[in-house]
Amino acid sequence: MNLDKFNNMLLESAGVGLAILQPETSEIQIGNRRFEEWFPGMVGTGKKLEEICPEINFERLLERVASGRIYAFETTIKVKRRSVTLAMQCSSHSHDDMAVLILECQNISKIKELEYMIESYSKMVEKQNRVLEREKERVEKLLLNVMPKSVYEEMKAFGVTTPQKFEEASILMLDFVGFTDMAIADDPAGTISELNDIFTAFDTIAEQFGCERLKTIGDAYMAVSGIPESTPEHATNIAKLAVLMLRYLDRRNATHKLQWRARIGINSGVVIGSIVGVQKYVYDIFGPGVNLAARMESFSEPMTITLCEDMYSLIRSEFDVTEIGEVEIKGFGKKRLYKLEGGSGELTLRSEGLFAP
Amino acid sequence: MSKSMFERYGGFASVSKVVMAFYEKALDSDIIGHHFENVEMRKLIDHQTKFVASVMGGPVVYTDDALQRLHAHLDIDQPQFNEMTVLLRETLEDFELESADIDEIMDHFHARSRYIVSS
Repeated sequence: MNLDKFNNMLLESAGVGLAILQPETSEIQIGNRRFEEWFPGMVGTGKKLEEICPEINFERLLERVASGRIYAFETTIKVKRRSVTLAMQCSSHSHDDMAVLILECQNISKIKELEYMIESYSKMVEKQNRVLEREKERVEKLLLNVMPKSVYEEMKAFGVTTPQKFEEASILMLDFVGFTDMAIADDPAGTISELNDIFTAFDTIAEQFGCERLKTIGDAYMAVSGIPESTPEHATNIAKLAVLMLRYLDRRNATHKLQWRARIGINSGVVIGSIVGVQKYVYDIFGPGVNLAARMESFSEPMTITLCEDMYSLIRSEFDVTEIGEVEIKGFGKKRLYKLEGGSGELTLRSEGLFAP
Repeated sequence: MSKSMFERYGGFASVSKVVMAFYEKALDSDIIGHHFENVEMRKLIDHQTKFVASVMGGPVVYTDDALQRLHAHLDIDQPQFNEMTVLLRETLEDFELESADIDEIMDHFHARSRYIVSS
């Protein structure tokens, strides 16, 4: 087999369409088999490039190829039923002082289809990512209701959390007098709805004074200050919260039929804070200081606040406190108890709206 | 939880290959080829990939309403629908899907024939 014949076979069997054009007129003079398949009846019949690809700018093509560069464009043809996208390249060549234009055509339909698909799937993935992101934020927000942010960060980073000891913190326990009877009275749903309003108001007051609601159990409300971020003001924060909770209830009761009367116990001491549970976890606090606050609460008369000597020294300069006397407290021995009457300075709520009837 | 067919066969990358191969057959078919004559194939392939992904338990949902809307104007009759199922089954076999999985996919298509066939 001679080389010319071999070259010819190669040319004819190539998957690329090849054609030779007359440079001045762009007349298609020779084309290989693939080119004829794509552009039937166009080779050697005097047809010009502009006729098969009307979208091209022939002047620019000539300019481009004259400076030795390639002119590239895309065109779409119909082969039987299929729409085929071709990538075309035109370049100038000279052989034995004869200049010609060579046109190469490659079928890029599959590439186009894949490009489209990639674009479509990236959009889909981006959309799903946005949904996931929103879901993550929602879960985060829910978790931040059950545990402090610092504990949540620790849990996210390490999967577990270690109990933390807080040397100086204050605790408030509140409970309503006769709630069980109130709840089963004529309008249970209304009662619970009112309880919800009251707890929401407490949350607002707590936030204003650097305290945080730790949890509620039924009608009991528990707040802390100094956890998880320590503050030298923890005792006065809790005392202010206690005073304003009672003031809020007083004003509310003045305009409402249902009377809400609370007992409050407050205390300062060492507290251990930790996540409890694996599947159903809560952030909880432990320690004798917590138990003592609970004892103070159950000792309180309705609508009063009780504390003992441990906390008294921390707040006496800022609050009106009356001594109750020495009392035997279960598990703690004899303790000197005090009743918190109110703030010596003017305590006001930032959001006076809470006191609106 | 066991993996969905979509996950087992390699997700979108694999499904799109199957769908592209299916349309090669469909375009050559004398019974249904004409439906694809003046259609933007890349869009169709994209839609069909997502649809097949959804019947394989992938992360897309197609409603029957949408199917009906997309096929209503095409005037597809039962022999054409049957031809489609023959070609699809053949394609799935070419890609060596397990026969139980092929049956499951085909069941999904058959179950929706009334949203596709309109004459």
